[in-house]
Amino acid sequence: MTTRAVTRRLRLPSLGGAPPTGAVVRRADRRLGYALVAPVVILLLLVTGYPLVYNLWNSFHNVVLSNAGAPQTFAGIKNYQQLFTTAGFVPALLRTLAFTVVSVVLETIAALGLALMLHRSFRGRGVMRAAILIPWAVPTVVSAMLWVTMFDPRSGFVDYLLGILHLPGSNTTWLAGEWTAWAAILVADAWKNVPFIAIILLAGLQLIPSDVYEAARMDGASAWQSFRRMTLPLLRPALMVALIFRTLQAFLVFDIIYIMTGGGPGTTTETLSYLNWYAFLVNTNFGVGGAISVSLVVISLLIAGGIVLVMRPKT
Amino acid sequence: MSNWSAYGRRPQGLVSIGVLALTALTLFGGAAASSPVSAASSQTITFAESGLGSEGAQTQKAINDFEKANPNIKVNILVLSPNSTTYLQQLEDRFIAGSSSPDVMESDVTYPAKFGKAGWIKALTSFKPNLKQFFATEVAAGQYKSKTYAIPWFDNPEGLFYRTDLIKTPPTSPAQVVSDAEAAMKADPSLKEGIAFEGEKYEGAITAYMTVDGAFCGKLNPLKLDTAGNRKALAWLYDAIYQNKIAPAAVTGWQEGNVESEFQAGNAAFAINYPFVASTVASQGGPAKGNVGYIPFPAEPGCTPGSALGGEMLAINAKTTHAAAAWKLIEYLTSAKVETARAIATGDPPSLPSAYTSSLLSAAPYFKQVETLNKYAQPRPVNPNYLQISSDLQTMLSSVFSNLTPPSPAISQTAPIVKLDATAG
Repeated sequence: MTTRAVTRRLRLPSLGGAPPTGAVVRRADRRLGYALVAPVVILLLLVTGYPLVYNLWNSFHNVVLSNAGAPQTFAGIKNYQQLFTTAGFVPALLRTLAFTVVSVVLETIAALGLALMLHRSFRGRGVMRAAILIPWAVPTVVSAMLWVTMFDPRSGFVDYLLGILHLPGSNTTWLAGEWTAWAAILVADAWKNVPFIAIILLAGLQLIPSDVYEAARMDGASAWQSFRRMTLPLLRPALMVALIFRTLQAFLVFDIIYIMTGGGPGTTTETLSYLNWYAFLVNTNFGVGGAISVSLVVISLLIAGGIVLVMRPKT
Repeated sequence: MSNWSAYGRRPQGLVSIGVLALTALTLFGGAAASSPVSAASSQTITFAESGLGSEGAQTQKAINDFEKANPNIKVNILVLSPNSTTYLQQLEDRFIAGSSSPDVMESDVTYPAKFGKAGWIKALTSFKPNLKQFFATEVAAGQYKSKTYAIPWFDNPEGLFYRTDLIKTPPTSPAQVVSDAEAAMKADPSLKEGIAFEGEKYEGAITAYMTVDGAFCGKLNPLKLDTAGNRKALAWLYDAIYQNKIAPAAVTGWQEGNVESEFQAGNAAFAINYPFVASTVASQGGPAKGNVGYIPFPAEPGCTPGSALGGEMLAINAKTTHAAAAWKLIEYLTSAKVETARAIATGDPPSLPSAYTSSLLSAAPYFKQVETLNKYAQPRPVNPNYLQISSDLQTMLSSVFSNLTPPSPAISQTAPIVKLDATAG
């Protein structure tokens, strides 16, 4: 039943008067439309718009919640300046960018391989497709805890496996070294997120008509040529979506690091989101926390814009 | 005006009445909720705690007894995270939101100064607490600007556990801890390490460090961190891993639970940990059962033995209207009888010297040693910015234990940062 029909049905029988004109009904429809979407709009404004504006306001004010009664005075750009004068911000920014690039590149390559494999017909494909989603469905906190256990040098699976395979690294205290800790984080992050990218790419692969490949085969194209000249270009929209999602997720990485290393050893795995958490919840400095948040939003938008610019279909 | 449009107004009128009614309810409801409720009134209060397992069960038992003795007060237990960092965040989230719940809460010894400064917890001066009955070091941890904000609940002095079957006489110096550990490892190949301690990047690494620090005449003074004693203590722990190799690099991932497991499983000759280890070993068995010695960390000549004060306190939410009932609960939980029962059931050492009764000492003889450790236990810096100081120290210790920075440069680099954080705001 349409909205208008509902409106009419509700109004007309009980009124008894002259039916409303078309303009009145249209206005009433519009009003009803606004009323129906209003709860969602209000909810969105409350849960998204308000925090955004509140953060922006905080970032230009002195807001330290653990200073009881301290006035929340205007700070200008002091909080933003403080980011660059504080020792940890620039290294954390560089670390975050490096992690984003490395993890997204490695995970996308792995996910592409996985998607290509799952795109082929084989017995148990449906089960496989469902099974690869399991890591993605596991909450990050839980998977991070599991990986801490797996990388435990005494009882962990990783060192044990390396040991029985006589591979180097079987006696490594993974989370105690800067590079080994990053390696462990990358593995844990990939385990969780490769399926997510793979599923998006698989959806993209399924949109490519099979006759395109048949035509290419008839023209004598090799498998590599088909992949390079047809699969990759036709997969571009799906790749773009996957890259935007994954890059932003990687750039905002927090939970896996908080659980696995706590930013350590030392500060070597601290990322921007980790600093943001620290500013908000340890320092209760909502001014600096807000400035970091706003910076994260701006950089995220730039990254997303950059990906769209590079990846958008060329007409 | 048509009937149609007139009809359309009706709901507006109803809405207006509804809004007015809601506003009135909110205003009057708010007014009623903001007036303090006397302890004699019938009421429900919420008590936030982090205890699980035997601690949680014992708290529930104590609350049941409290409710029987005070039938007008019902206590809801709000179990928050057992992880101290998460627990703190869960509390802070509520404070920042301006919540009056929980009315009364468990608080680590390092929180009251911060909470007091932020105005999140109530100064307890008006209740005239008898502070002299508690161990003085923990009382100091509950104070900020000469006002008492939290009352000691139990008092956890961290010290050195050793296996009496492997080490016949307790060591009397840090050097002897090393030689005893080396000898024990040689004599018993089933030992995986000479000493286990908390080396993960978390609060426990600080208390482990402090336990050793006092024995080298060190002191965790945020305004003067770079001292010879502090350097020596940090170097001792670093050497334990990388020079003397009596501790594995795996300590960088160990919290007190891991250390407890290592000692209980018979993997370690020594362990730096809290008294509950003795209770666990006694109840769960293993090679260490019946062979547990517990001492303050042995001192260098001229210094006093080392121990770090852990423990939990009880505080009241500044926004609660049930302060009187909350105080009644605190008085009950910190009474000698209840503390003794808790100590026997959970191994949580009482904060009252009077609770170390003969019945406690006969049920769990190691409490005699706990009493001794309490004399040496040093509190962490009582500072409203302790969390920042703690984070600085955790980073320093993590760098050293992971062999990223040698001990002396680590201290000299961290000292000015800690000083800055300690004096900020």
